[in-house]
Amino acid sequence: MIYDFFYDFLAAHFSPLLSTIGSWLIVFIIGGLITLNVPIFLGWVDRKLSGRIQARYGPVYTGPFGLLQNVADVIKLMGKRFLTNQVIDPLIYNIVPIAIALLGFFMVFIIPWGNANLVLLYVPFNLLFIYIALAVSPLLVLLAGWGENNKYAMLGGFRGAAQITTYELSLLIVFISVALLSGSYDITTIAAAQSSVWYVLYLPITLVVFGISSLAVIERGPFDIPEATQELQAGWKIEYSGIRYGLFFIAEYVRLLVISMLIVYLFFGGGNGLFLPNYLWFWIKTSIVTIFMMSLRWVFNRPRIDQLINIGFNWLLPLAVVNLLIVGAVMFF
Amino acid sequence: MENKNRNKITINIGPVHPSTHGVLKFVVEIDQDTIKKVEPEIGFVHRGVEKMAEMKYFNSFMPIADKLDYISALNWEVLYATTVENALGITVPPRAIYIRTLMCEMQRMMSHLLFLAHMGEDLGNTTLFMWGFRERELLMDLTEEVSGGRLAPMYVSIGGLYYDLPEGFSERLLSTLNIIESKVKNEYKALSYENGLFKMRMVGVGVISKEQIVKYGITGPNIRASGVKRDIRKDDPYLAYDKVDFDVMTETAGDCYARFMVRVNEILESIKIIRQIIKDIPSGEVKVKVPWIFKIPPKYTFVRQETPRGEAAMYMVTNGDQKPYRLKIRAPSFYTIQAVKELFVGSKVADLVAILGSLDPVPGEIDR
Repeated sequence: MIYDFFYDFLAAHFSPLLSTIGSWLIVFIIGGLITLNVPIFLGWVDRKLSGRIQARYGPVYTGPFGLLQNVADVIKLMGKRFLTNQVIDPLIYNIVPIAIALLGFFMVFIIPWGNANLVLLYVPFNLLFIYIALAVSPLLVLLAGWGENNKYAMLGGFRGAAQITTYELSLLIVFISVALLSGSYDITTIAAAQSSVWYVLYLPITLVVFGISSLAVIERGPFDIPEATQELQAGWKIEYSGIRYGLFFIAEYVRLLVISMLIVYLFFGGGNGLFLPNYLWFWIKTSIVTIFMMSLRWVFNRPRIDQLINIGFNWLLPLAVVNLLIVGAVMFF
Repeated sequence: MENKNRNKITINIGPVHPSTHGVLKFVVEIDQDTIKKVEPEIGFVHRGVEKMAEMKYFNSFMPIADKLDYISALNWEVLYATTVENALGITVPPRAIYIRTLMCEMQRMMSHLLFLAHMGEDLGNTTLFMWGFRERELLMDLTEEVSGGRLAPMYVSIGGLYYDLPEGFSERLLSTLNIIESKVKNEYKALSYENGLFKMRMVGVGVISKEQIVKYGITGPNIRASGVKRDIRKDDPYLAYDKVDFDVMTETAGDCYARFMVRVNEILESIKIIRQIIKDIPSGEVKVKVPWIFKIPPKYTFVRQETPRGEAAMYMVTNGDQKPYRLKIRAPSFYTIQAVKELFVGSKVADLVAILGSLDPVPGEIDR
């Protein structure tokens, strides 16, 4: 736990109050830096990957291998003039991007980064907290769609709220089945419980359910229906520009990374592996899962909103529930 | 305050929108993502092409014929040249006829590849978009090699062609065809027409019935997808189409997926046609001498040909002057786009994009 490490370090020299404030500050700065750098790096990976799939290069000119392209984009977004329509709801309009970015920051703050000790702040039941951070988004999407005072945005907001609420249910049931199997809502405990057998062997269907539902919840393509560039231009993000728009990218990529990390923690045994150290195994697995989840966007097209909701309610939710019942029965007997 | 229409939203889709394929506009009334009423608005790129034809010498209209349908320029060039040649009563040398057939089929492939690309883009699959452009680019390069132009080649002249094919062209074309054939049969299959999510979006959406075909006068691949076996290349052969062996591709369902499949099969069919043409292309001159300014005696001329979007026709009235008295252009997309009023109603907003994409309209041709 990084917070405790800094607290112990500072407490040797300063008073407890000063140490508390100091260690909170340090941890916040570290968390903020991670949160900012995840979208910059993952965005680059995404661009390069899509470039390779689509028979083009992706960014090449800015920095080595185009690594600095997203840094340049951040600077560009910050320099943009604030431009929106005349009759927005200013409070809602401004609070949504900040809230969405803060949720990303919150997830970065409480998720373990490959090791039980590599967590900025340890909170018990951190799986549930991450679920909450994911599950709050339909409210924000709906608010953004309403506050922008734009028909496209409102349609996007409605679509987003419908889609995310549908898939949150199966996501929660997946979390419950994994927690039931391991007996804990703590991510590192769940990972540690898989030292002999990975849960993907017990719960392969749950993994599929989790993969699809999580992509739908974070609105990552092919399920980016609320944004739907070709139908609603940018959906609920339509009136946002400049740094407010840039903040959405933080949420997008942080959530993508968190989802991939959760897949590794919950189904592929976290850092468990042979020969190599734990955190190395964890990051190898996470990279593979992240690239897989990213590439889905470039292979599949977007389903229709009613089809997606049908799949969610008619297939994934029953499958998740049946799986949960099976797990419950096995654990009971 | 009870208001029956409170759930209805009117949104403008277009004229500047990613998936209207140019500047088209639809005023759409929606009720919870379901379309209740559509009003297409056209005319954003109206240039008065028919009037322009009356004001220009016969030769000078060719670049404008190019830009009618900027996705299939060569087909329109051939159509206009044929109209003037028929009015003038001259015969084109056989080599020029074969090369014109070849270029028409290349243009048809380019147009259909662009259609496949845009269909992917409309459904949110940008990879299909990039791949479609990648294959189209190969043919674009060949067109550039032949004519110097890419989108508007200006290759066909009245009385034949401006230039002969360059040396070694047929070998390069054949190797390109092999590449495109394998890509369409394998890569595109995985990404589009055998892909589950793609089929989910396309099958059963936007069915065109035979009554609608008659009512609106729809032609081309859109009706062949509904099971109507009508293709001027076969029914009323022009150029060298009676000398090559090919099939008219039809599907029965009439939905977006059938329209997609008809175009995929037509690309493969075009490859077949081009291979035959390259084998039996005769040698000789590629043009007969026609003066730049000439007069055509009073006459009515009607020519119809199959462009990638359907039946295009030109009806030219001449009065013995150096310019046509009247040139009526039948643009197939103009008739197709009228059907959207019925096709869109009852579908979702997302389907609007899919149906419109599968009809393959080109605003430049609709508005003229």
